[in-house]
Amino acid sequence: MKPSPTHAPVVPLSDRDERIKRLPDAARTAFQQFQLDGNPERLDPVLWAILMDFVPKATMAIGSETPGATRLIEDLGFDSLAITEVVFFTEDLFGITITNEEIVQVRTLDDLRAFLRAKVAVRPPS
Amino acid sequence: MPSLPVITGLGFITSIGHDRATVLSSLRELRHGFETVEFFGNPRLPVKVAGTVKGFSFPTSNWRDWRWPGQFSIDRELLRGLAPHGVFAICALQQALAEAGLDPADLRDGSTGLFCASAGSPFMLGDFLAQLRETRGERGNPMGIVSSIAGTLNFNLAAHYGISGAVCGFVSACASSSHALGFAMDEIRLGRQQCMLVVGAEDLMGESIMPFSGLRTLSNNPNPATASRPFDRHRDGFVGTGGSVALVVESAERARSRGARIQAELIGWGQAGDGHSVAATHPEGAGLREAMRRALADARVNPAEIAYVNAHATSTLGGDRSEALALQAVFTAQDAHPRVSSTKALTGHGLSLAGALEAAICTLAVSEGFIPGAAHLQEPDPVCAGLDLPRTSLDEVPRLVLNNSSGFGGSNVCQVFRRPA
Repeated sequence: MKPSPTHAPVVPLSDRDERIKRLPDAARTAFQQFQLDGNPERLDPVLWAILMDFVPKATMAIGSETPGATRLIEDLGFDSLAITEVVFFTEDLFGITITNEEIVQVRTLDDLRAFLRAKVAVRPPS
Repeated sequence: MPSLPVITGLGFITSIGHDRATVLSSLRELRHGFETVEFFGNPRLPVKVAGTVKGFSFPTSNWRDWRWPGQFSIDRELLRGLAPHGVFAICALQQALAEAGLDPADLRDGSTGLFCASAGSPFMLGDFLAQLRETRGERGNPMGIVSSIAGTLNFNLAAHYGISGAVCGFVSACASSSHALGFAMDEIRLGRQQCMLVVGAEDLMGESIMPFSGLRTLSNNPNPATASRPFDRHRDGFVGTGGSVALVVESAERARSRGARIQAELIGWGQAGDGHSVAATHPEGAGLREAMRRALADARVNPAEIAYVNAHATSTLGGDRSEALALQAVFTAQDAHPRVSSTKALTGHGLSLAGALEAAICTLAVSEGFIPGAAHLQEPDPVCAGLDLPRTSLDEVPRLVLNNSSGFGGSNVCQVFRRPA
């Protein structure tokens, strides 16, 4: 999937610190490292933490052990509202814009991880 | 023959208690729920007292920061769309359903409806709109609307409990949940629903309470023990509160068939407008007077049969005066002398919550057999001459009780409660 061009972030960086303060330590550390070196491969713990934070019913842990083919809606119990919340949070955190067309193409954890990595890779310098 | 609506369950999250027993003892012992507060962290505000909802904390608009007493369980799936008063409502409704002996699974077959009342959440809406303004419309929390606008209660509760019967929210300010209860009675009487859940709730935030300071209707008395004193000649305004009350209303036939305990019968209601002012009450309480008469006519009872009136009186100068005159016209002038008190002296004024809260208090009065006293009343306003305002709660068993509510724009709503035979 080819990521769409992104716009300049509308959320100041200081607000991003506010946004990640409730995430687990591993996710905060990973995000801070990503901010330093821009390596999107560091983002997995952030992604797991975001999903765990917004999944409507926390019925299973989401992490590196979760199969990549796990489906967001059918397997993890995400609904459309929760997905809009994930999108909203992710847009603000990374200063990116995610279109509706992009959202509907993400079905599994692998899809989401690949999409996020590609998306932040094309992010303009902030 | 229309079905008779009856009350089989109550739930309370209030300044005077978070369960039936505590609320009941607070009413019997005239124990108020007020504390000193500082809205907006501003010590210069003249409003110093509120009816606090103990054990709950909402420091930000993010539900992850919210706290509530450990005896209540709230799904995170539900939390994401709630305002603070939605949290109160969930806790109250859990109690009411348990008391009525209903399982949430019982609510899904279409025979149960849900009528709610709140003003929405100015606290949540303020944050949501601030974000929209700051980003010139580019960013808006996906849950911002459903967690903030008037209707947030019915949106969330109907979805969570799978209500497929009648669902609606009522907005008539301080008469809102009284309207919800009245129309819920009609749903039962018309045979449209077998059961109605009625829920009133409000945030307790500066954003909800302090706007009334601009209207000069809030008490500036810093003493929690005397700030709310309806019908007293030294009253200087109302004391705000929040919380939630839930009532389970069902047809008497269904309640009996499933062996539910009938706490009170709802035998009539009435409403009338003042047709006078957007915010002030009619100086002689014309709308409330007519609403009381209509409720009594609907219930087919005479004024002299009413043993107790739970007055709307909020402790404002004009409102209490209007209600006193209306009560004199309906009762005193007919040589009827019911006991009268406003329990807002203890609870504070819950705005959209008030009608449901006081309906629940009327239910306690008829089911438990007592009459709440007129707390904090030291020197009755001379305009109350002829009204029977007991200074203490009384161990009298009222057979018929009237509940009064009034809201902005001159909306007035009354219900008549009967003690089950």
